[in-house]
Amino acid sequence: MGKEEIPKITRRTTRSSAAVSNNDVDKTKARDSHPPTLNDLLFGGENPISLDDVLSNFPGRRIQIIELLRILGPMNCPMLPLFIYGGTSTGKTSIMLQIFGHLNRPFVYSSCLTCYNPRILFESILNQLLLHRKNAANGYSSAKRCERPSDFVNLLREALTSIISNLQGNSGKLSSKKFEAQANGHMIYLIFDNLELIREWDKSSTMLPFLFNLYDMLKCLSIVLKPFSRITRRVDELSTSFSLLYQKYCEPISDQGIVPNEGMKRRLFSQLQPHIAPFLNEIFKVSSHSSIDVGATKEAKQKARTKESGGSEVLDELDFHMCTSAKYLLISAFLASRNPATLDASLLILLGPSEKSMERKETAEQELLMKGPGTFPLERLLAIFQCITSVADCSVDEEDGNDGLGVQYGDNSLMSDVLLQLSSLCNANFIVKGGSCPLEGSTRYRSTVTEDMALKVARSLKFPLSKYLYRR
Amino acid sequence: MGRENPAEKALCLLQSRLCDPSFIFRPLSDSSDSNYSKLKFIVSSSVTEACNNSILLLGPRGSGKVAVLELVLKDLLAEYPDMISVIKLSGLVHSDEICAFKEIARQLCVEHQLLFSKMASSDDNSQFMIAMLRECGLAHKTIIFVLDEFDLFAQGKQRLLYSLLDAMQSVTSQAVVIGVSCRMDADQLLEKRVRSRFSHRKLLFLPPSKEDIQRLMEHILSLPEDLSLPQDYVVEYNAKLQNVLTNEKFKEILNRFMNSDSTANHLFRFLFRAVCNMDLGTGFLTLENFEAAILNIQRQPKLECIKDCSILELYILVCMKRLETKEQNSYNFNAVMKEYKSIHDSFQTPDYYAHNVCLRAFEHLLQRELICFTDKKGQNQSLEFHPVKLLVSSYELHQGLKSYRSCPAILHKLMGG
Repeated sequence: MGKEEIPKITRRTTRSSAAVSNNDVDKTKARDSHPPTLNDLLFGGENPISLDDVLSNFPGRRIQIIELLRILGPMNCPMLPLFIYGGTSTGKTSIMLQIFGHLNRPFVYSSCLTCYNPRILFESILNQLLLHRKNAANGYSSAKRCERPSDFVNLLREALTSIISNLQGNSGKLSSKKFEAQANGHMIYLIFDNLELIREWDKSSTMLPFLFNLYDMLKCLSIVLKPFSRITRRVDELSTSFSLLYQKYCEPISDQGIVPNEGMKRRLFSQLQPHIAPFLNEIFKVSSHSSIDVGATKEAKQKARTKESGGSEVLDELDFHMCTSAKYLLISAFLASRNPATLDASLLILLGPSEKSMERKETAEQELLMKGPGTFPLERLLAIFQCITSVADCSVDEEDGNDGLGVQYGDNSLMSDVLLQLSSLCNANFIVKGGSCPLEGSTRYRSTVTEDMALKVARSLKFPLSKYLYRR
Repeated sequence: MGRENPAEKALCLLQSRLCDPSFIFRPLSDSSDSNYSKLKFIVSSSVTEACNNSILLLGPRGSGKVAVLELVLKDLLAEYPDMISVIKLSGLVHSDEICAFKEIARQLCVEHQLLFSKMASSDDNSQFMIAMLRECGLAHKTIIFVLDEFDLFAQGKQRLLYSLLDAMQSVTSQAVVIGVSCRMDADQLLEKRVRSRFSHRKLLFLPPSKEDIQRLMEHILSLPEDLSLPQDYVVEYNAKLQNVLTNEKFKEILNRFMNSDSTANHLFRFLFRAVCNMDLGTGFLTLENFEAAILNIQRQPKLECIKDCSILELYILVCMKRLETKEQNSYNFNAVMKEYKSIHDSFQTPDYYAHNVCLRAFEHLLQRELICFTDKKGQNQSLEFHPVKLLVSSYELHQGLKSYRSCPAILHKLMGG
């Protein structure tokens, strides 16, 4: 889409050096120095894109493209405002822009994702209409300052009338000079992308009807508003996982040119099958979505009804590094969240790690599922931490008298170090702040690690976590 | 060339007609007891007799209130050229009184070629307005205030309405206030002091009858026989159009369509879509154009959303439905997972995926707004513990599953049970 320059810097550079070299490149470019003209409202640069290009760029969208072209109609034809909706990454924005490139009609594009409040949205539209570009010369300011919708309507009316008169003037010149990149027609299209984000703004209840009624308010036959919106299967996620699968699929075929027939496909597929399950359950590094199910494994459902369930291999090691005191803090936070406070004494101090399992209560387990991890004050966390580390201290000493680790624990003067670890755990969102205690007003914390992760951490420390948990 | 150009010109003409409200509502205004003539009578009598007046135009959205008002104003401006000036305000934009006074002052300045200063304060603007009212009254000029979305002006303290209506009563002025609203009880929203200064005249705009609809369609869609289009093309087009309009099937489609929403605007959007579908090769409107337009307009987004879901997401939706039928009022992701696991244990489905994948599918459903959280507070909990609820009804879910291609039979069984 458009001409993209291959970046000349391919190795990693620091930000400051990249900025310096970019500045040099910028000065030599002529683009910054020439004032923006009406042709900048076009899409696609010099040559209009042909219809076949548009259709071939988006396979499977032929019906929608033809429908859109019909609604836009021949040149200078007025139309009612149009609302385009669909799931994410279904191609709404890109198809729209390419269609405009094909028709070569001027438009103003603004995304409610980048313009996150009404003022920025209004100013961006006005800037584009007034052909004003923010650069260093005018201090990156907008052409007009516009905060309220009432001002916006007036300014928009002025800007549109000036642009339309420009366009009509241009078309008069068209016959005399041959310019391929001239804008066609007397109409300007306003495109609002990501419209659903407006609902999150303040005063959204007035913004949305305002935008939808902008058409009526301006009473100009020659503008057309086109809000977009969002909401199918996410092609971007699927593509990453499909590429890996496809590579595996093609492994046994030495000759890439042959088209496999049914029998071969079946054999290839049965070879692929044991790989599919771990792919399906793979973590979201690959973001593998189970709609792979519909595409690649339809045959699996018909042929092999018994699929290995899960097949997930729990990774026994943590993916990242944490220092030991942080690990102990994490475990204590987990215990503090899971166990009720009243049992602390019995579990940790009096009885020590208990061998007998507590009896399971159905409703209590339900409660755990529904309410989630509980909150705890800081003092309780530190108390549990001290208990655990003193236990660990003993066990470490018993095992192999390793001096390197044993020195720090059980020493009160290093409490500041522990608090630093705690704050870094909070920053990493392993521990979050819950509500504050109603009586004293001190903040309470909550641990957000899952049981799997806590088990992994405990395993790395050789800490018997299961014996300290209230329910198992 | 040849057939192309007249078809394109015809298409342009039809589309521009459908986008122009004053054109389409003209035939409705021809009879003598229509809203058009009543409104015209009221406004013209207050212009000629030099008195104040106020009126409300009420009706559902898209019934042509503003269109008829525009027609009346255009005719009156032609009849009494220098005696009327029009100020237009919209409740969406100008409901705040500071904005409103500024806008009134600006429009008055434009009208009378005065310089408007943006730095003027709200007090200055309101005093300017009162002064202008007095001067115009002395000069026998009527100022017509058109207040669109009148119910939005009636929120809050109604300062603008009060000052406007008060000025009309105390100062020697000639002003007409016309409020336009889609709320039928807009006059009940007024405060006591405002209501006492307001004359309780209301004009109701009702949806058009079947004969009116027929007349409207012929009026809009027939091509005029003037010189810009070739004569034989126009004649043939109009003949074909008559065939379509009197077709039984077409009448049935139209009835079904208007049953869902009988305002005029709805009809015009349908006609617009049909006209867009016109084949530029032949240049005639056919029944298929109208049928295609109906399908395009009557869409069901939630159903399409469900059809776009993957199988795991359908499983999650069905699990949530089952939890609801078991009368568990609040449930979260973990409860849904428990249900999912129990289904897998009892039916041995091949679709059993790990926790991570299900969580990802759950997030997709949230993004697509098929489910949502029941409350916004407590955001510092992780995703799995928030109570959620379904945003699709069970009927929609049934329909979605039925129209889903390759839906596993087990899901149907689970939904039925």
